Amino acid sequence: MAIDAPARARRRPAGWANALFVLPYLIVFVAMIVVPLAMGMWLSTTKSDLFGVEAQVGFANFTRLARDPIFLETVWNTFYFVLLTVPALTLIGLGLALVLNRPARWASVLRTIFFVSTVLSVTVVTLVWQLVFTPDGGLIAVAAEALGGSPVAFLNDQDLAMPAIAVTTIWWCIGLPMVLFLAALQQVPRDLYEAARLDNASRWKTLTRITLPSIRRTFLLVVIIEIILQFQLFGQPQLMTRGGPNNATRPIVLFIYETGWRQWELGYAAAAAQVLFAMILIAAMAQYFVASRKDDR
Amino acid sequence: MKLATWLAAAIMSAALLGCGRGMEDTRTELVVQRFFGACEAQYGAVDDPAEAEGECGIMTALINRFERENPDIRVVENIVFWPGYDQLTAQLASNDAPDLVTMHGSVISDYQARGLLEPLLATDLAAIGAPPERLTEAARAAVTIDRRIWGLPIDTWAPLWHINMNLFREAGLVRDGQPVLPRSREELIAQAEQFKARTGKPYFVQSTANEYAAFTRNFYTSVMQQDGVLYPEPRRADFTTDEARRALALFREIHDRRLTTINQDYSAAVAGFINGQGGVFPVGTWMVGDFHGESQSRGRPLSGGYAVMPFPQLFPNRNVTFADGHVWVMPADSERSPEERQAAMRFLAFFARHQFDWARTGHLPVFRDVIDSREWRALPHRDALAPLAETAVPLPKGVRRQFPIETIVGQESAAAISGAKPIDQALADMERRVNEILSQL
Amino acid sequence: MTRPALSGRVAVALVVVGAVLMLVPLLWVLALSLKSNAELMADTHSVFNGRYTLQNYADLVGDGQVFRWIANSLIVSLGMTAGVLILSSLAGYGFARLEFPGRRLLFVIVLFGLAVPEQAVIIARHQLFSWAELHNTHGALILPGLSAPFGVFLMTQYFRAIPKEIDEAALLDNASRFTIFWKLLLPLTIPAQATLGIFTFLSAWNDYWWPLISATNKEMFTLTVGIASTQMNFAQTEGLGFLMAQAVFAGLPILIVYLLFQKYIVQAVAGAAGR
Repeated sequence: MAIDAPARARRRPAGWANALFVLPYLIVFVAMIVVPLAMGMWLSTTKSDLFGVEAQVGFANFTRLARDPIFLETVWNTFYFVLLTVPALTLIGLGLALVLNRPARWASVLRTIFFVSTVLSVTVVTLVWQLVFTPDGGLIAVAAEALGGSPVAFLNDQDLAMPAIAVTTIWWCIGLPMVLFLAALQQVPRDLYEAARLDNASRWKTLTRITLPSIRRTFLLVVIIEIILQFQLFGQPQLMTRGGPNNATRPIVLFIYETGWRQWELGYAAAAAQVLFAMILIAAMAQYFVASRKDDR
Repeated sequence: MKLATWLAAAIMSAALLGCGRGMEDTRTELVVQRFFGACEAQYGAVDDPAEAEGECGIMTALINRFERENPDIRVVENIVFWPGYDQLTAQLASNDAPDLVTMHGSVISDYQARGLLEPLLATDLAAIGAPPERLTEAARAAVTIDRRIWGLPIDTWAPLWHINMNLFREAGLVRDGQPVLPRSREELIAQAEQFKARTGKPYFVQSTANEYAAFTRNFYTSVMQQDGVLYPEPRRADFTTDEARRALALFREIHDRRLTTINQDYSAAVAGFINGQGGVFPVGTWMVGDFHGESQSRGRPLSGGYAVMPFPQLFPNRNVTFADGHVWVMPADSERSPEERQAAMRFLAFFARHQFDWARTGHLPVFRDVIDSREWRALPHRDALAPLAETAVPLPKGVRRQFPIETIVGQESAAAISGAKPIDQALADMERRVNEILSQL
Repeated sequence: MTRPALSGRVAVALVVVGAVLMLVPLLWVLALSLKSNAELMADTHSVFNGRYTLQNYADLVGDGQVFRWIANSLIVSLGMTAGVLILSSLAGYGFARLEFPGRRLLFVIVLFGLAVPEQAVIIARHQLFSWAELHNTHGALILPGLSAPFGVFLMTQYFRAIPKEIDEAALLDNASRFTIFWKLLLPLTIPAQATLGIFTFLSAWNDYWWPLISATNKEMFTLTVGIASTQMNFAQTEGLGFLMAQAVFAGLPILIVYLLFQKYIVQAVAGAAGR
């Protein structure tokens, strides 16, 4: 930054005017993110409801969270859900991309089919899947009965409810990882494949030695993006199971919503939100770390 | 730039769409917020409540009627999803209070304690034709806090036993045209087993999935019938009692013996009962009208075979049923004009006048004279329901946060009854969680 | 050569089966929406008996509330898209091309905003809007979305990639900064605008939590919240077929948008998320 003095003097008056370009955004940014973030942190140290702050309680909300079995269960549930969905989304997405990465017309039709559910909203998705899972005349129950089986109450079974929500989510979200992998596959230099063909390498070898290493970074990015997304699970259990049965499908975000809006404990909910924020921040920093290494290669 | 032009055009037209309404309407605006569902498709054009059936239909028809009779009032009807308290709380926090809201009696104290409701004065009550002495005990208890009245009750509801008489007959549980109901836990199990043996169907149809209120109603009722104390003080719950244990044990036994349908959510249970999947559907007064209508249609499992009874006394100590009720309350709003308040009072007076129409839903009327009226008694099944006026008891008014508590009690009961948790642990967890909430008040 | 070809065919077969599984739930709902409520109440197996009706759709159109919700969703999504494009382009140009005090620091702070999830700010934001009495307006549904730092980040990168010679030549012609931005550079960023616009539109259309707590008035419901409201209605009298028709109807506009702009949407989503 060796700028000569006259140049600096020349720019200074223009400098403030230049800031006008970023000012509109910055105002919104401060009002919608900076201020609420600071307020949220402050709220998490208070006892308050939607109608006002009652008392300053310091870190009491956080110690209460650490002792609250229901909250701890929601943390576990959230991690469990991430574990159920992220590997599946990543691997299925990768598999689909590998098979559908070709110019043929049928491949393009199939790509459309796998992406189409992504544009539906969570309320439509949950409505659809409730009608698939319900043991009373749901799609799976009807199919099971036709095959001589008996219906299973997926959403009312402690052990099956979360996997059922995971299946719903995978159905809903599979488009994004597939598209990301497809984009990455397009970037793999053609000449690498040419070279492999000349070497008479098997398909498997081409896949493991060329394709997969070339999209390594995308793989990591997909994992991290999906972790961040799935950590924020909310609508599916709120609409499909209300967090039940026996608390088995209540994620952190639903806990925040119910505590703040139903139980009127806004400070406590804000504290839970900070905990979730910390978790996502760690994942986001991992993403930044991965993304910034791009330039090293 | 085509995209930008297209966007601009779209936004302009969208903005125009948004602004086209509400011009040159000088009528007084009355914002009414309610649950009970939306059914404009079916009842949008009906303004005679006698032609409507069910809570949603009758409510819609009543409000249509009010609009017709009061052309100088513009009613803005805001239908929220059940029970709408999350939204109401958010609205009140943002000073966007409706003029009148439907609220359960059990929830009033939360809002009242925060100064969010406006009480009805003695003069108001007289003006709308609902003086306190006209109200039943349960209805008056539902709206009275600190000797002031915080809304117009429109009904008292209680869990009932809706009965498929065709199946009961098949099971040999009909005597003199009346269903034979159990008078003790032992009789209940015995009759239910007999029912199952003779009909091949479970005795109960129950809504147990994705819903907790039904569990809570059964639990509260069973403990209250044993004279058990649920809340020794307004801010302390006591659920680790023998009474509570016996209550859950009974429903767990019913579940374990498969004397009930399992895994049905609310709509599946309603459909199940209508389709004759079981003998007894324990659900509230609000279904009486719907099920009676079903029994009048031909060729259906309920045809000509529907009866309804108060929750029977299964424990020897006291004949009582946990109850609640629906109330119109008026959120406090410093910006409400006298004209708007006047319009709200006319709306309340209208509902007080049409108490009988609303009672056609199956809910218990709030006025003693309506319960005693020949008109009400002439409605189907109402003789059987009349004793509820004495036996329906809400939780003590001092207990706040009854709505989130209901969910917790239901969740833990469900866990115990389905066998996910031992009963003692479920009760301990229930007590701890509820007391945690109450201690934060 | 047969072995790899076989495994390739197995893979394709698996994917086709997967595609069928993707479609079956949608077809199921479509079929349910074409049945009378009374028949479904008795038994959902009646789906297969061949008696279909459009009554549910007729009721839906007669009822009209779903149109109100679609209009709200359109207003909010288009408004947010336009706002994000304008703010992000201005800010992106500013951060990429212009010197002003604190530029670097501000940009880093904005980047930090990328890591802030909705959950961390939503409670306080709700309080803020309450105090400002903004809830139940279209503005309240649009405003929070305008703060997403992603657009600024994307546009800054894009402006940086445009050769500086273009504006320097214009500066010599005494063009103002705004003229350069508006006349010269902005047209060059159309691909990025499309990416950002599509991405914003889709996420605004499907936004759930914020509209759920901010739009509490039925007149202000977006489609997502409106559908949820009918879904969670206890003792709801509208039948299953009607609900399903509503779901189909609600899904249609966005599906049509998707099929029309498919290529761009896929590119946009890949481009946007990959950065």
